Amino acid sequence: MSVVVIGLSHRSAPVELRERFAFVENKIPEALSELRASGLAGEAVILSTCNRVEIYAATTLAPDAAFARIKQFLIAHHAFDGALGDELYTIAEPHSLHHLFKVAAGLDSMVVGETEIFGQLKKAYDLAFSHKHTGARLNKAFQRAFNVSKHIRTTTNIQRGSVSVMSAAVELAEKIFTTLAEHEVLVIGAGETSEKTARALQSRGVSKITVTNRSPERALALAAELGGRAVPFETWPEEFERIDIAVSSTAATTHILDRAKLEPLMKRRQHRPLLLIDIAVPRDIDPSVNELDNVYLYNVDDLQSIASDYLKLRQEEVARCEQIIAEKVAALLEANKIAASLGRS
Amino acid sequence: MAWFTDRHYFLLAVTFYGLSTIYSVFLWRKGFRRDEWVNYILLAGGVASHTLAMARRGMTLQSCPVNNLYEATTFLLWALGLASLVYALMPRFKFICAFAAPVLFTIGIFALMPSLDPPRGPKPEFSGALRSLHAATILQAYGAFGLAAVAAVMFLMQQHDLKFHKIRAVLSLLPSIQRLEIIATRLVLVGFVLLTIGLIAGQQLPRKAGAPYFSDAKVIWSALLWLVYLETLVARQFFGRSPRRFAAAVIAAFLFLLLTFWFTNLLSALHHP
Repeated sequence: MSVVVIGLSHRSAPVELRERFAFVENKIPEALSELRASGLAGEAVILSTCNRVEIYAATTLAPDAAFARIKQFLIAHHAFDGALGDELYTIAEPHSLHHLFKVAAGLDSMVVGETEIFGQLKKAYDLAFSHKHTGARLNKAFQRAFNVSKHIRTTTNIQRGSVSVMSAAVELAEKIFTTLAEHEVLVIGAGETSEKTARALQSRGVSKITVTNRSPERALALAAELGGRAVPFETWPEEFERIDIAVSSTAATTHILDRAKLEPLMKRRQHRPLLLIDIAVPRDIDPSVNELDNVYLYNVDDLQSIASDYLKLRQEEVARCEQIIAEKVAALLEANKIAASLGRS
Repeated sequence: MAWFTDRHYFLLAVTFYGLSTIYSVFLWRKGFRRDEWVNYILLAGGVASHTLAMARRGMTLQSCPVNNLYEATTFLLWALGLASLVYALMPRFKFICAFAAPVLFTIGIFALMPSLDPPRGPKPEFSGALRSLHAATILQAYGAFGLAAVAAVMFLMQQHDLKFHKIRAVLSLLPSIQRLEIIATRLVLVGFVLLTIGLIAGQQLPRKAGAPYFSDAKVIWSALLWLVYLETLVARQFFGRSPRRFAAAVIAAFLFLLLTFWFTNLLSALHHP
């Protein structure tokens, strides 16, 4: 019995096609039963996320025959009537195990090193396991994949750092302030980006958020969603005495904060450090404010550059991770060979 | 092992500090990205040898080894090294060792100069509990000021990197600038209290009849140093001096201390009766 993988992911297929093949979670056990009942696979796991749909199967069929029949199963199950080419990939052992380990470690993800896929894969496996659709081969393969993923996360830098603009902003805040819980955030402009950044800050402990917007209704709505308070747009500079982080993303065409305005505010703040995150385009904050002592201004390009550097760092780590995976796959294959020679599957 | 004297142990300690300094250069070049113990272990080796050196000297003298410039310098370094090891155990503070090692190594090399440790009889000319208290608290204060300067250097480096959007600021595993500033302030405060106690104890020491006190070079220098640190603290706590200027002042004050300590000691009639 060998492990094969058939599926489509963000690398091979657009979202329009991926969504056609997606499995609804509560229908997966039924699909697995169908797959196993057809004699295509002795064991199977279906992984269905927004970025990939994959079937991991342990089968006694020759890989080519298994791929053709599982492909037919997929097409029939989803009543797909379009043309299908290279979008659907097929991987036979030992590369299938290598692929599984890579997926578990986040190396095949859209954002290299992300950890969400680990949870999704674990959930997919648990679902198949609880419905008794896995056996010795897939159990061992998935358990090893999870262990390798943990090992990679602890021994390499693959998941270190922020790869989005919002999380880069949070990381910067943590380099300036010891704990974010004690610091208040002012959100200027109630747009989607401001909201995401505020939520990212909240996820790291920020509890006090003040929102201001030209339209007071939107400010009130966002403040209610974030559990903060709203202040009129005309009076937001007064908040600078209390806040330590300001996230600005308005649709203003000129700078809403410049050096002349900020200088007296800094004196009133007794020169406490102030982090200004300007994610508006065109920019809301005059770049010259960064020349003021204790002011740290970052615009969207600066944050993007941090995120890109982190991504580069992660990509540099891929080779190390691949090496670890190659060693662990070889060990698993050797263990399988020994088990087979002893008469266990 | 009788030939292995306390000075040999100190030489071994300085060697460890040297190795730690070399390793620190690599850590610095790599941007302090990996959390690891190598530098801590090297520094701990240095402090352990250093402790043995001081213990041996102390047992030989049957008193606290703070009786000449060599002993005073090694005591100061020991306080600095030990405090660095303790602070390095705090989260994200391990790299304080990388900043402290060059200071320990440089001053350690200086302390090894034979002229700072002239041969003498079996007992020091001056001893007594009050004298030991005076010397030990003052030297511990200098150690605290030294570590505050190390934290201030870390602060300025991080602050500069954050201000000028250097990716190293985000990638490094250094503490937040706010934390570094708090640590530097606390260390200056601790040093200031110890210095005050040490100076009061020094004032109580018996002196030769007619020996000048307020015109003594070391007394004037100590009073000046006390005022410098007092001004640094007051300006930060009560007059809103910016953290960057505070850090620069802490480094400048410690440099002043380092560059003038030995010189004024030699000029002092009270310390060389």
